[in-house]
Amino acid sequence: MIEIKNLYKSFGGDEVLKDICLTVQKGQVLGIIGPSGSGKSTLLRCINNLELPTKGTIHINGKLAYQDESGKVFSETEISITRSKVGMVFQHFNLFPHMTVLQNVFAGPKFVLGQDEEEYRSEALAILESVGLAEKRDQYPEQLSGGQQQRVGIARALALKPDVILFDEVTSALDPELVGEVLGVLRKLAEAGMTMLIVTHEMGFVRQVADRVIFMDEGRIVEENSPAEFFENPQNERTKSFLSSVLSHTD
Amino acid sequence: MSFFDLIHPEVALDALPTIFKGLLLTLFVCFICGVLSLTLGMLVALGRMSKSRILRLSLGAYVQFFRSTPLILQLIYIYFALPFAGIHIPPLPAGIAGLTLHYTAYLCEVYRGAIESVPKGQKDAARALGMRNRVVMARVIMPQAVRTIIPALCNYMVQLLKDTSLLSVVTVQEMMFRGQIFAAETYDYFTVYSIVFVIYFAVGFPGIKLVDYLEKRMKKGYASRSVIKDSSIKTTTTRGGK
Repeated sequence: MIEIKNLYKSFGGDEVLKDICLTVQKGQVLGIIGPSGSGKSTLLRCINNLELPTKGTIHINGKLAYQDESGKVFSETEISITRSKVGMVFQHFNLFPHMTVLQNVFAGPKFVLGQDEEEYRSEALAILESVGLAEKRDQYPEQLSGGQQQRVGIARALALKPDVILFDEVTSALDPELVGEVLGVLRKLAEAGMTMLIVTHEMGFVRQVADRVIFMDEGRIVEENSPAEFFENPQNERTKSFLSSVLSHTD
Repeated sequence: MSFFDLIHPEVALDALPTIFKGLLLTLFVCFICGVLSLTLGMLVALGRMSKSRILRLSLGAYVQFFRSTPLILQLIYIYFALPFAGIHIPPLPAGIAGLTLHYTAYLCEVYRGAIESVPKGQKDAARALGMRNRVVMARVIMPQAVRTIIPALCNYMVQLLKDTSLLSVVTVQEMMFRGQIFAAETYDYFTVYSIVFVIYFAVGFPGIKLVDYLEKRMKKGYASRSVIKDSSIKTTTTRGGK
């Protein structure tokens, strides 16, 4: 589904991603954890071409996604098509404030796929229903709680029927009591077989839901394992110290 | 002697026809320069944000130059100095050109500032959905930027109206110029300039009130705005939040 080979990314002189190699199978849920500044978000942003890698290749569905091997960037049309298949949900929701909840959800189908109004409307409503927000459809994002906004963010990504969704710390900006409702939606998606890459600090959630976990530090993937092994029996020193400090906090 | 004793009604009546003729030209110049600079300002703003370095730098130089120097000097230069370089422009076109160049520089910054003030996350989200750059601009960035743009533009339009009076120095017969001539002919500066004042105020004040109203309205949240532009929304929203 997603295949990343020898990916590098630098900002100015800062190398943020170093030699990332990663494969995610269809239907798999990958948890990405690590300290802040370790490159987790940048990795996700590269997969959606919000950042252009310095080096390396990204295959999505068996095809080079945004650039060929020599680094030449594909046309706007090709990139737009690939992006529409790769959903993304953001830490700060990034809902469109001038659109109602329903308009946010059908923004993709309407402005990217150019579907008929009847089609995108009814589908968007069904998706809103599935995240439990159908009755909020005519409200504006500013009228919703953080948790509700994030569920709209997820619905907006789902409306394009993506092959994979990237979740970039989607509960980090929420009040603690609102985290649960968003994680609940993620859990449902995982159970439905959605391919997901989840950057998060919610260790308990990763442990329950992820099929695989990678730990990133200073731009590298330093450990990769099943959640059980990863949390019970971490191999790398850096992972051990990170986990012990994080877990002792949450307990 | 009271204020009203200084106003001579018979002079005022004589002055009105010529001053109204001037007002028509004032409004005409304001309209032409307004339309031109509103349009050109947008183009220059897009140019200043484009990928081409040459375009960015040259337009940047133009904008900074016209913002850093007095409008009256720009007008005088175009009308009185350029002829020495073999460029002869009649008064009205020279005045319109000067005002338009000056206001385009300012309006460009209004557009650019507003576009750049839309949070970066909005562009990220739109691009992540697969929107093309043009769609991102039209559907996500601009609808948010107009909230800053509209009140600022109205403010500049009122300022433009007042600045048309500077065209009197390049002999354009707008209201200020006509007033000056008539005052000089009758020596009744008090009456004539009082009338001119009143007329500028009568035209400018509603504009300023409009700016205030728009600023207040644009500050409100999206939910409390009464007009829902998307006709596809059939139900009305609940006003005033949760």
